[in-house]
Amino acid sequence: MNTETIVFALASALAIVFSLVMLFQRKPVKSVLSLVVTFFGLAILSVLLAAPFIAALQVIVYAGAILVLFLFVIMLLNLEQEAADKETRKIHFYLGILAVLGLGGLVTGLTLRAGNPPVPVGNGPFLIPAKDEIPLLGKVLFTDYLLAFEALSVLLLLAAVGALILSKRRFE
Amino acid sequence: MSPELFNVAAAGAKIAFVWGVVLAALLPMLIWAERRVAAFIQDRPGPNRVGPLGLFQSLADAIKFFMKEDVTPTYADRFLFNLAPWITLVPAITTFAIIPFGSSLPVTLGGQTYDVPLIIADVNVGVLYMFALTSIGIYGIVLAGYTSNDKFSLLGGIRSSAQIISYELAMGISAIGVFMTAGSLRLPEVVAYQQQHIWNVVPQILGAVIFIISAFAETNRLPFDLPEAEAELVAGYHTEYSAFKFAMFFMGEYANMVAASALIVTLYFGGWSLPGIAFTGVAGALLSIAVFAAKTGLFIFIFLWVRWTLPRFRYDQLMDLGWKVFLPLSVLNLLYVAILVAAGKA
Repeated sequence: MNTETIVFALASALAIVFSLVMLFQRKPVKSVLSLVVTFFGLAILSVLLAAPFIAALQVIVYAGAILVLFLFVIMLLNLEQEAADKETRKIHFYLGILAVLGLGGLVTGLTLRAGNPPVPVGNGPFLIPAKDEIPLLGKVLFTDYLLAFEALSVLLLLAAVGALILSKRRFE
Repeated sequence: MSPELFNVAAAGAKIAFVWGVVLAALLPMLIWAERRVAAFIQDRPGPNRVGPLGLFQSLADAIKFFMKEDVTPTYADRFLFNLAPWITLVPAITTFAIIPFGSSLPVTLGGQTYDVPLIIADVNVGVLYMFALTSIGIYGIVLAGYTSNDKFSLLGGIRSSAQIISYELAMGISAIGVFMTAGSLRLPEVVAYQQQHIWNVVPQILGAVIFIISAFAETNRLPFDLPEAEAELVAGYHTEYSAFKFAMFFMGEYANMVAASALIVTLYFGGWSLPGIAFTGVAGALLSIAVFAAKTGLFIFIFLWVRWTLPRFRYDQLMDLGWKVFLPLSVLNLLYVAILVAAGKA
């Protein structure tokens, strides 16, 4: 067993265990913190795949910004404990199972269709990242995937405007 | 000695040097300097009793912090309460890994000459690593505020999370200009670019100003120290912390300040280089370290100077400045640099 396998095992165990803690934890703050640890596990996996840029973005955007906003809102509203099983409607349970099955199917399908995983270069235990992957990534984003990229940014803008309108209406 | 072994030894030596200098020498000196500068600005002597010029005052303070009783509030979440100071301090001192603190040092060993670049880790995501670490550092403050089970701490933590997210945006966007002209996120290339052309502060003065002011907000220094505004929040997020855990928050703040100064120097003021001087050989390497230390020291002094000169902002002014002034201006700066690059001027 080489170092890479050990790091992979540890990082994925970290991600899986803490995502479970996130689900079953009743205190919202601790749920958010577990999610932070999960994102760290995912960032380590990205580094293993020779994608340090993705790892850095994962930590900056998700762990560093979005989850801090989550914490901000939870602390602002002072949510101590999740209301214990306020809604236990059956439809939620079935819809949840459907969603899990759908996502699982998607992930399995993609994994089966994907090519061979990258192999470490030379005799080093780890993949060596490209010297400058970021300009390449930028070029691909603004040429081949331009439409998807712009569509996603419009979607984010719409979501932000929508959230603003919803919250405004509540307070008027 | 094989090259691999040499690389490991060199990396170890660099780590020992940087953290030895920063932690063991610079942070205590800095706390002393802060108090002396404060005293100078307020026209009084300041701490001058322990050692020559009061230099050992920090040592006395450290012993005091070790000896004091460590109080944990009764209803605090023990695990997270104890974890919070570590989350603040560790990322703060880890950021130094990617800052090039000198040119390269030629070392001759066993008839073979190795060129050791004076940077601990030249990662290809460069400064993103630093942004990632500083954004993790927020959790220390937020957790300290939340787990103390104290209204003042909670308010401090809430303020901190909102403040740091707001200013991180402007800071990141203004830094993009630097990477566009250098064509890389790696800090050694940013320094090399400035060595060959011109310090980034000249063409990108707007970005530099935004970056420097945002760095004040990111490090919770006055005039942006709302998370610990003592006039309204007692001591903000660290109200409930005492003894060594308080000292860790304290050191974390200063380590962040040194890191921010070093980053400002590297991004906008030529890093370890000076125009017209080639830093080669052992003497050049040592000179480049001295230049870098002098520039960083200057910015640390500006941090202290501003703290004892300007009053604190109100919270709504802080948010207005971040979102309504700095964010649009940093985007404007980005556009301007993009035009420069496209026109082939940079």
